[in-house]
Amino acid sequence: MLEVTGMMVFYENALAVNDLSLTVEAGQIVGVIGSNSAGKTTLMNTISGLILDLREKERRKGGERITVMGTVRFEDRDISDLPPHRRAEIGIVLCRERHPVFGDSTVLENLRIAGHLRARAEVKQAMDLTFELFPNLARYKRKKAGFLSGGEQQMLAIGMALVVKPRLLLLDEPLLGLSPAMQTTLVQAIKTVRQETGVTIVIAEQFARPILPMIDFGYVIENGMLTMTGSGQELMDNPEIKSAYFGH
Amino acid sequence: MFEATLIYGLVNSVILALVALGFNLTFGISGVANFAYGAFYVTAGFLTWSGLNQLGLPFGVAAALAVLITALMGALMYRYLLLRLRGLVVSEVIATFGVGLALLELFRYLGFIGFEYTLPVMIDASVDIAGVVVDAQRILIVVVGASLAALLWVFTRHTRTGRAFRAIAQDEHTALTLGINTDRVATISVAFGAGYGAIAAVVILPLGTISVGEGYNVLVNALAVCIVGGLGSTVGVIVASLLIGYAQMITATYVDTHWMMIVSLVAILIILLIKPSGLFGQQKELEERI
Repeated sequence: MLEVTGMMVFYENALAVNDLSLTVEAGQIVGVIGSNSAGKTTLMNTISGLILDLREKERRKGGERITVMGTVRFEDRDISDLPPHRRAEIGIVLCRERHPVFGDSTVLENLRIAGHLRARAEVKQAMDLTFELFPNLARYKRKKAGFLSGGEQQMLAIGMALVVKPRLLLLDEPLLGLSPAMQTTLVQAIKTVRQETGVTIVIAEQFARPILPMIDFGYVIENGMLTMTGSGQELMDNPEIKSAYFGH
Repeated sequence: MFEATLIYGLVNSVILALVALGFNLTFGISGVANFAYGAFYVTAGFLTWSGLNQLGLPFGVAAALAVLITALMGALMYRYLLLRLRGLVVSEVIATFGVGLALLELFRYLGFIGFEYTLPVMIDASVDIAGVVVDAQRILIVVVGASLAALLWVFTRHTRTGRAFRAIAQDEHTALTLGINTDRVATISVAFGAGYGAIAAVVILPLGTISVGEGYNVLVNALAVCIVGGLGSTVGVIVASLLIGYAQMITATYVDTHWMMIVSLVAILIILLIKPSGLFGQQKELEERI
């Protein structure tokens, strides 16, 4: 479904992603595991196309020079130059890190804004699914999103992504800043999302422990480079992963 | 005397609000401070005048055309000029101010100077409110002002484009990930702002003459209202318009009409000294680096 080949991203002369290739099959949950500044967000931005917008803005400002190399193919189509809003149209939806919601708008408004591309009935359907997955959100429908807790904002952000009707859902550090209990809730919800919608999911995360058990396949990256690949079980059994991410 | 100040002060406040609404709309959504705003306002006036007197169109048609053309000019300015400068605040100000100067001085060059450039009032009547005679045009201004503000509120909450306005005003990157074409939405917001300014011109200009100088006055007034109220805040626009509107009217009544224009400039100075973000302004955090 998704094929990233020879991806390299430079910020000025600093290499953020180094010759990275990965494949995602339809229906899978794929994990991208790495510590801070390993290149996870850059990779997600490259798949979603956001990097093109950032590059353009920096270029206009005469700011940091961003260089992107390599190809991104989605369903046998080269989308390397497709702008981010067009990628959302064809079903690649990124849920950015730090639960990006529109803080001044209510929960309902946030979901409606997310329905920009979709018909009213589809939006309604996706909203119902969101409220079913996250009953807490249903209680706070008319509350401004800025006043929700971090976990609730993350739920809303996932709900908004669902409203866009993703075929490939990219979750960038969905567990960042959440309590262990909230992490468990979210992991459960992500599993349910896959069951209910059959959507393909890529999760970039530094918390390997809750993520590894649910992924079909995982990529471990360090300093922008792929260091290890394997199924969730294989990675969990790997001694290096154990010492790096499980602390023993 | 007091009743007159009260009523004319309100009318004056609505005029300010009406003038500032379009400027504020564009800034609040796309972050572009459109310094060509006053020029657009005057352009709409001259276009309506030309439609009426040179093409012989009925007032409604001439006014509607003027509003549409002005909005289109806003869109073109964004598409072919501002898009290249997006995010460079100083360059945006210089570029839009340049466009405004060029437009206004072009009118002066073409000979649009003099007292014959006036627009007719739409209804020639007056009413008596608490012993004060108010002409119908001023009442129309209040009605149009209130309707445009209400329309904007409904539009940004209940239409797709309106919601996209709110989205890019808050977080452009998230809007992009949701499939919102932010450049297009920003273009529409500039066109909307220019169109709002044009509507303001069509209803307000019948009270006086259309002149190049009016373009500069309108820009200063719009800036004053937006800076005092807090750039991008609609509530701020309303409150600041009332404050400045009444302050101007009181100055005109009890001091001298010549001092009216000073009021907005003094208001800008005072607010910048006391609360630079404006009464209802929120300083946006610097764009997070991803």
